Amino acid sequence: MSCDKCACSENKNGQNYSNIFLPKEAKILRAIQATQSERHFTLQLANKEKMKFEPGQILEVSLFGYGEIPIGLASSPTRENTFDIVIRTVGRVSAAINKLNEGDSMFIRGPMGHGFDLPLLRNQNILVIAGGIGLCPTRSLIQYIMDRRSEFKKFSLFYGAKDPSQQMFHEDLKNWRGSSDVSFYETVDKGDGSWKGNVGVITTLFNKTQIEPDTRVIICGPPIMFKFVIKELDKIGVSRKNIYVDLERRMKCGVGKCGHCQINNKYVCVDGPVFSYADIENLEEAL
Amino acid sequence: MSKAKVAFFDFTSCEGCQIELTNYGDAAFLELLNHIEIVEFREAMSEKAAQYDIAFIEGSYTREADRKRLEDIRKRAGVVIAYGACAATGGINALKNHQKDYSEAVYQKDSKMPHLASEKALPISAAIKVDYAVYGCPMDKYEFVRIVSHLLHGKTPVIPNYPVCMECKRNENVCRYESNDHCMGQVARAGCNAKCPGDGIPCEACRGFVDQPNEQALKKVLMEKGHLSEERAQNKSRMFTANLRSDSK
Amino acid sequence: MNLYFIKSQDFNDFVKSLVGSKKVIGPKAKKHKFVFDRIELPEDLRLDYDTTILPPKKEFFPTTQKLVEFKGNHYNGCINPEEKILFGVHFYDVKAIDMTDHLFREKNEDWNYLANREATTIVASNVQTVSNRAFYGSVGTEVKPKGHDAYLTKLKDGYLYEAITNKGEALVKFGKFDKGTDSHRKEAEEINNAVLKKCPESLKYGTKEIADKVRKSFDKKEVWENAAHDCFSCGSCNVVCPTCYCFDVQDDWNLDQTSGLRSRYWDACLTEDFSKISLGAGATENFREHSADRFRHRIMRKATYLNEKLGGPACVGCGRCSSACTADIADPTKVINKIMELR
Repeated sequence: MSCDKCACSENKNGQNYSNIFLPKEAKILRAIQATQSERHFTLQLANKEKMKFEPGQILEVSLFGYGEIPIGLASSPTRENTFDIVIRTVGRVSAAINKLNEGDSMFIRGPMGHGFDLPLLRNQNILVIAGGIGLCPTRSLIQYIMDRRSEFKKFSLFYGAKDPSQQMFHEDLKNWRGSSDVSFYETVDKGDGSWKGNVGVITTLFNKTQIEPDTRVIICGPPIMFKFVIKELDKIGVSRKNIYVDLERRMKCGVGKCGHCQINNKYVCVDGPVFSYADIENLEEAL
Repeated sequence: MSKAKVAFFDFTSCEGCQIELTNYGDAAFLELLNHIEIVEFREAMSEKAAQYDIAFIEGSYTREADRKRLEDIRKRAGVVIAYGACAATGGINALKNHQKDYSEAVYQKDSKMPHLASEKALPISAAIKVDYAVYGCPMDKYEFVRIVSHLLHGKTPVIPNYPVCMECKRNENVCRYESNDHCMGQVARAGCNAKCPGDGIPCEACRGFVDQPNEQALKKVLMEKGHLSEERAQNKSRMFTANLRSDSK
Repeated sequence: MNLYFIKSQDFNDFVKSLVGSKKVIGPKAKKHKFVFDRIELPEDLRLDYDTTILPPKKEFFPTTQKLVEFKGNHYNGCINPEEKILFGVHFYDVKAIDMTDHLFREKNEDWNYLANREATTIVASNVQTVSNRAFYGSVGTEVKPKGHDAYLTKLKDGYLYEAITNKGEALVKFGKFDKGTDSHRKEAEEINNAVLKKCPESLKYGTKEIADKVRKSFDKKEVWENAAHDCFSCGSCNVVCPTCYCFDVQDDWNLDQTSGLRSRYWDACLTEDFSKISLGAGATENFREHSADRFRHRIMRKATYLNEKLGGPACVGCGRCSSACTADIADPTKVINKIMELR
């Protein structure tokens, strides 16, 4: 018996038990310092198998002795047999992982949770609104759409960062800026000498383009951003059931048991991290 | 992993925490010595080293005159750890912060001798930046080893911010309040594995408070269920938390 | 289901023979309280216990449980079930075990729990002494105890042993059992029904109306602040609860600094750090920052959040939280009855 979640099983007393806490080893193919505090890893399973996952799903990433943390996948399953994650140094586990380099291993469980509902997004106008590190999990969807562009209608992307030094995925940004496949708009809260683009909060980007009321909107960013973005979407007349949010919570187990990410009757790790806004807007403690 | 250079220093204290470490047991202690090199340790040796990876400072900061020595340790140390209750919170020494005549009571005719002069008993962090603390009177040797282990790996040590009640319940101890006694485990920082209540002794909060102690509820429970007088209930936690209480001076 | 009867004078020998050949965990005295512990002598088994400090779920889900052992980058799981008999479990704890069984099984099967659970034979027993905070007579009465292998009821002249599963049936050979009769069954039923009426505390409303009203009171800030005014955020109510199953996971190295363990520990949503996350540079965000938020979360979780999954409230009325709370504010009957009386 082996399980999809971990593909691991153990044999005790002649009986096999799947163990949802046993991770798989993943090798670091590439490690880039994305910003001062964020590191971008391209990984491959140590057995070189392709990992099956959906855009928006999460992994539990760990180093033995240091612990485990939940991280959103930052690349699309349409790409090779590698996958990307971006880790911000915030605590003991992230600090330890962010010291790793090419050729080192980390350990993963997953993919876990409920990602973006692709069938509901296909053949629709799409707007992705990503604030700060919120670009990482949404990049899994952005890449997916770019790779299967014909399956989607108009595709717009808003990206806001604190300042130019906080921008990530520079190669992607360069591509998106020059691409006709995506209407890409970016802003920084605070510019610097070399920044020629828009300065202001992410909602200022709504003036730059026309968003159709039937657009499917995906939002990921700091909690404070949601309120203001929703206000703008209300003005346009986007239905709340067409808005999807990618939430972040403290998680320990990633499999709907430990209780840390529970908001009301939902577990972010199994019912999310992607939720329809209509499902959670009245859920206290969600936003 | 190269051995970490570790040093121990003592200020106003009984040095019991250093003694407690030597109680860890030969085998375990020697295994630890495969990973650390003790370069300064008054209880056991007398050499001096110029630089330390980890400096453990025992005892509270009670004299302005000690500031220079503390600053010197800080300069030479990668990580500074307040070691034991006196260093971490001021500990039992801080009781005197609320007293005027303690010197006469303790030293009697010698009370005016210059080497006994001291000011308020404060945690080491009142003088220099302290990175982490090993709480407790005495500190818990198992927790000490875990903290050292985490530091050896560059991991921020895991130090509980939940109360002793959690550990006490996990150990299935009979609650002191169910034995017609009192206890302060509800507000005391865990990490000791609830040793005292496990032995049938009330928790005195020697590891200090959790970050958000409910002091008024403590007083109420000490009076109503612990049968302490109002005055005793009010002052009860001061033994180890004089500097942490909302009325600290 | 087969009924067996054993005379009072033969019961001791049954227990003796059972503990002599199997690992038996049962209620045992600890000072003037009781705990589930290994029974080695028949006289240690205290079926007259009122309730235990910790619920019996600790036998499947220990307070500290190894999940993964590692040495460098090599690692193994730690599932290692041991056959045992959990003897003398009261019906409310049977209900709670059935709930944790479901919760550890749903969506992602957690064999760290389930393997221990499956290796265990549960012999339930009737409540002989009602604890002073019990309210199992009035909570979630629509949820019936199930999942146990046998049910033992102390009758006037002996014990009725209802073997429910093969595992339960397998223990009959250890004692001098006769066939139980209909009159034994009737006597047992009366005894088990009578105890429900002896609870010193009770909920005054039904599951559904409680769930609705409590859920609707979410935003009544003042209610929760008043209820949690004396809360220590100590987590005792969580730790002693038979239906709480939250845990924290921590890694530690052994003394050799290369090998070590990833373990889970019972956690408590009442504690300050439970929903706190790091944002970097020392900044944190806490989704349930105030003790009133956390107090509310617990009541919601017991009275409404899990009802759909469990078919009733995630509370079995054992009263352990009421006894464990030194500030005496955790008692679900008091909190819920008060909410129900709000206009």
